Amino acid sequence: MNAVPVRPEVAVVGAGPAGMAAACSLAESGVEVLVLDEQPAPGGQVYREVEKVHEQRPEDLAALGTQYRAGLELVRRFRHSGAGYLPRTSVWEITAASEPELAIGTLHDGAAQMLYPRHIILATGAMERPTPFPGWTLPGVMTVGAAQTLLKTSGLMPAGRIVLAGTGPLLYLYANQLLTAGTRPEAILDTRPATSMGALASLLPALAVQPGALLRGLGWMRAVRGSIPVSSRVTALKALGDERVASVSYESAGQSHELQAELLLVHDGVIPNTWLAMAAGIQHHFDQRQACWVPDVRGVGRTSRESIAIVGDGAAIQGAEVAILQGERLAHEVLGQLRGAKGPVLPTPVEPPALRQQRLLQRFLKRYFPPSAYFQLPPDDSTIVCRCEEITAGEIRKVAALGCVGPNQAKAFTRCGMGPCMGRKCALTVSQLMAQVHDVSVEEMGHYRIRPPIRPITVGQLADMPMTGEETGSAADPPGKFASANSSSSKR
Amino acid sequence: MYRRSAAIAEPVILWFEDRKIMAAPGDSLAAALLAAGVSVFRRAPVSGAKRGPFCMIGNCFECLVEIDGQGVVQACSTEVRQGMRVYMPRGQSPGEGD
Ligand code: FES
Repeated sequence: MNAVPVRPEVAVVGAGPAGMAAACSLAESGVEVLVLDEQPAPGGQVYREVEKVHEQRPEDLAALGTQYRAGLELVRRFRHSGAGYLPRTSVWEITAASEPELAIGTLHDGAAQMLYPRHIILATGAMERPTPFPGWTLPGVMTVGAAQTLLKTSGLMPAGRIVLAGTGPLLYLYANQLLTAGTRPEAILDTRPATSMGALASLLPALAVQPGALLRGLGWMRAVRGSIPVSSRVTALKALGDERVASVSYESAGQSHELQAELLLVHDGVIPNTWLAMAAGIQHHFDQRQACWVPDVRGVGRTSRESIAIVGDGAAIQGAEVAILQGERLAHEVLGQLRGAKGPVLPTPVEPPALRQQRLLQRFLKRYFPPSAYFQLPPDDSTIVCRCEEITAGEIRKVAALGCVGPNQAKAFTRCGMGPCMGRKCALTVSQLMAQVHDVSVEEMGHYRIRPPIRPITVGQLADMPMTGEETGSAADPPGKFASANSSSSKR
Repeated sequence: MYRRSAAIAEPVILWFEDRKIMAAPGDSLAAALLAAGVSVFRRAPVSGAKRGPFCMIGNCFECLVEIDGQGVVQACSTEVRQGMRVYMPRGQSPGEGD
């Protein structure tokens, strides 16, 4: 057991596929690397609790499928890599470029601490795209990702009348997992538009290099469609109920329908979780096709800040396989930056064929499952956009029409984005709605300014922070409180 | 709304608004409450509308609850503890009052 190194060479934020791969590769090259992660165990959202499920819940492991099981190998490698690992640790700040020293503010078990790495790798992954529609704030409406997290962490299976709505690979993957486990949702309300020419054109190259993955995917879709009624081109989705969701209404093929539901699970793909990168002042741009903000990246993962790199789904949505391959390549890039001319010259490895193949597959998936128009610009003005402050699409449109120039001003006028989630669930929608009213691009409209702390932290926690500037910080923590990746694995 | 795929071997017992809840060790508080059939965790501060967990990964802050001695926390990011007393938040923001 080690005390936490206050000045590691590299700090990695996030122990998902990208973060683990980068950390393993760096640690195996002799770099002192420390991984900070919010969860109790490594894996990120995609391989969440894979060790525990493997050990304790074989039936859930079977339902979760081969891709999930594959995560175990990487988690085991990470445990043995020698990388430092701080689970249950959130990051609330990275110091600005103008500050004299690069520092990360961490919070573990209520105790705040600053760490001073030479280099930071952000591997903060993805989050589900906001899906505003009337009634989405009712209890019993959750995301598909949330339900999948409940399955991975606690073995919870939805029960009763379940309806899935939205679209995306994860929605069909989860539907298939439910069927495997013997649970049948009432319906899938698919909001995917008609397949575009672009999707068809990108199918052949993907099929040529990744036939296995695509056929597996088609296999699920067929299994799902064979067992669960699927409504296509769904719009006008509404969740209805007084205290909690009781039914779902929608339109499909020009007809209105209503279904009883006690659990409505929604999904419309994932987008990079950019909150920490934005708070660190890293430059971003708006990806028109994916309808989301992504960091500007050169090389494998270099950002507009020399000492902060970014990799995995937090850099661009490409899935776990690409995240692992890119994590390895990023480690070489960072090693080159750290060792400079003194160290061995390590060229960034050329793009392996596996990476190119995965990219072709991802390109097809993105074109086949584009963001649903219905959720991007909620047509019904009564739709709550900012869940925390209960600000509707109509109010955002109104302040924009009255001359409010951008999201930060809308915040001041309406309080949108000022609740505890700090805009995570409304930023994208507010920028898109305002861009529509002003008839400019979302890029021009801009994003909420994101400032640290990006996680709630109290004044008391700040005041109690150990003075780590003089290398005494590690002693301020009881020995054994923090551990290396290996020793914190209780039972493996 | 949800059922457990396996029975709880050694339950962790806690209270939500004076209702006894049996959780499995290692459960997040949100998972334990959902598995026990609790869907309303709090009220929206503006309208008073009922709310419950939405994302389960710490992003939406819909799962805020108040724990005795700990203040307002995100139930999806808090592990269950034996004897924990949990309430719907009484007008605090996360991080306030610890
Ligand atoms: S359910 Fe979203 S933060 Fe807990």
